Amino acid sequence: MKTVVFASGKGGTGKTTLTAVAAHLLAPAGRLAVADCDVEASNLPIALSAVTTSSESFSGGAVAVIDPELCHGCGVCLRACRFDAIIRPDRNQASSVFSVDPWLCEGCGACVPKCSYGGSITMHERTAGQVFSGTSAVGPISFGQLGPGEDLSGKLVTEVRTRAKAMAEESGAELLLIDGPPGIGCPVIAAITNTDLLVAVTEPTVSGESDLLRLIALARRLGVSVAVVLNKADLSVSGAGRIRRLVAAEGLDLIGAIPFDPTLARTLDRLAGGASADTLLAEDAPGLLAARDVVAAIAARIG
Amino acid sequence: MAVHGMLPGRRLKIAIASGKGGTGKTFVATNLAVAIARTGTPTALVDCDVEAPNDALFLPPAATEMHAVSVPVASVNPEACTACGDCRDVCAYGALRVLGKSVVVFAELCHGCGRCTDACSTGAMSEVSHRVGEVESGAVPRDFADPGGIQLVTGRLDIGDVKAPNVIKAARRRAEVYSRSVTILDAPPGVACSAVAAVHGAGMLVLVTEPTAFGLHDLDLMVQLGSDLGIPMGVVINRDGAGSADLDRYLADHEIPILARIPFDRSVAEVYAEGGLVLDVHPDAPGWFADIWDGIARLTLEEE
Repeated sequence: MKTVVFASGKGGTGKTTLTAVAAHLLAPAGRLAVADCDVEASNLPIALSAVTTSSESFSGGAVAVIDPELCHGCGVCLRACRFDAIIRPDRNQASSVFSVDPWLCEGCGACVPKCSYGGSITMHERTAGQVFSGTSAVGPISFGQLGPGEDLSGKLVTEVRTRAKAMAEESGAELLLIDGPPGIGCPVIAAITNTDLLVAVTEPTVSGESDLLRLIALARRLGVSVAVVLNKADLSVSGAGRIRRLVAAEGLDLIGAIPFDPTLARTLDRLAGGASADTLLAEDAPGLLAARDVVAAIAARIG
Repeated sequence: MAVHGMLPGRRLKIAIASGKGGTGKTFVATNLAVAIARTGTPTALVDCDVEAPNDALFLPPAATEMHAVSVPVASVNPEACTACGDCRDVCAYGALRVLGKSVVVFAELCHGCGRCTDACSTGAMSEVSHRVGEVESGAVPRDFADPGGIQLVTGRLDIGDVKAPNVIKAARRRAEVYSRSVTILDAPPGVACSAVAAVHGAGMLVLVTEPTAFGLHDLDLMVQLGSDLGIPMGVVINRDGAGSADLDRYLADHEIPILARIPFDRSVAEVYAEGGLVLDVHPDAPGWFADIWDGIARLTLEEE
C-alpha cells in the first residue's frame, strides 16, 4: 500500500479540498482509505460527508490538582514548577491556598514529592482527545479530535495513522490519502514521516512561498519525497513566477497549477452528495478540471 | 477612530486566532496593528505562529536583533550512570529509557521539568541547553505606523523541532520588554498547546473565520477554548459574501459579537499575495479595522 500526504506549511491553501477531490477521482480506480491528520481542526470528514462508526477516547498526560483542604500555603510547589503553572493565593481573599493553572501544567509531577504536607497535590489523568473511524463514499476514514489546549497532537496523529492503516489493510486498500495539518511542527512531523509522497499545496502569496520553503526543508530532513501543487495559481502572476522558480531551484517537480475557483467548494459538496466526478467534469468545473490533471500526476508519481 | 479605553498606563493584549488555518489571521493582525498604531497608540505585534511566521513579510522591521530560544534537556553521563532506572520511573513523558547498562534520553519527548536530575542518586543526570528556535525583534519603520509605532517580534521554530510552545512563550516574554499599550498576538491555527501558549492571558480574543462549513466547525472549537480560558471574544468574518446564515445563527446563539465583515474581494487577495498592506490600498479597509478596534475597546471596557 502507498501513502500520499497533502501538507502545506501555510493554512488555507487547499489541502482538504485537494485531498477530497483526489479521493473522489481515485476511488473508482482502486481501493482507497483516507485519514485526516489535522486533529486540531478536522475538516476532511465534513468534505467527504463521512459517517462516524466508532470513537475511542485517547488518554495521555496528567495534570496536578491541589486539594484546598490539605494545602497549608507554604509555596514550595511554586518553586518546584518550571512551567509557571502554580497560582499564588489571591491576596484579596483571606485564603492562603495555592492552586494549579491546568492550561500551563505540563503534568511532570515535580510538585508532588516537594509538597511539605504530603498528599495535598495529586496527579490526574487527562483525556487528550478522541480517535474516530467512519465510512465515506470514497472508502474508510479515520480522524481525530484533540482536546482544547492538549499537547499530544503528534501522538494523536500517529494513532489516527495507525488506525487508518489497519482499516486500509482490512479493506484491501492500495492507497492511503492523508490530509495533513498546517505548520511544520510536531503533528506535521507525525503526519508526513514514512509516507511515499508529500504533495505540498501552496499558493502564489509571500506567505505561501515562505511556508513552502520551511516545509520542503522539513521533508528533506525526514527523507520524504515532495511534489508541489500551486493552488489559486492566477491570484498573482509574479507570485506564481516566484513559486515556479523556487520549486525549480529546490530540484522539485511542480505537478500542477489550479486556478482560483470559488466554485470548487460547491463541487465538493455535490461530490459528497453522490454526484459522479464524470458528470461534474462534463459541466466544465474549472477547478475540478485542473485538479484532475494534478491527481493524474500524483497517480503517475506513486506508480 | 476611537481611542477610548487606552488611558495612560493601561495595557491590552489582543490575541488573533482561528481554529482553521488560512482564514486571515495574519491579514487581520498586521493591518490591525498598523490601524491601532496610527491612532497614536504604541503597539507591539508578536508573531506566535512560530511554525509558519509571516508577519515580518508584511511589516518588515528596519533593523532586527536575534535571540536564540533554548530549553533544558536531560543528559546522562554514562560514566556515573548505574542504570538503576530511578530517572525513568519519575519521568512523566517516557523520555528516558534504560537500555543495557545506561540510560538513553529521547530529547524530543523531554519537557525539561528537572525531575530526573533530582531523582538521580549518582549525579549522572544533568540538563543541557538545547536550541529550539529563535526570536527576532525590531521596530517597523516609522512612516508605516506613525505616530504610535509598531515593535514587531517574530518567533521562529527551528525546522525539525517540536517545541513550538517554548518559542511562543519566549517571543511573548520578549514583547513584554517593550511594554507597549497594545500587544497583538498573532496565534497559530488550531486549538492545541501552541494556540493556548499564544492566547493565554490575553484580554481579548479576535476570532477570524470564513463563512463556510469548515470555518464554522473550527470556529466552534476555538470558541470552546476561549470560553474555557474566560477571554472575551469577538469575530471577524473574512471573505464574507456567499451567505453566512449558519454562522450568523451560531454567533447569535453564543452571543458573540461580530466586529467586522470583510467582503470577499479578489483585489484584497491580490494585494495580500504581494505582501502589500490592504489598509493602504482598499478604500473600505480603514473602516473595517476602525470597526474592529472600536469593538475591541467596547468589549474590553465592559469587562472591567
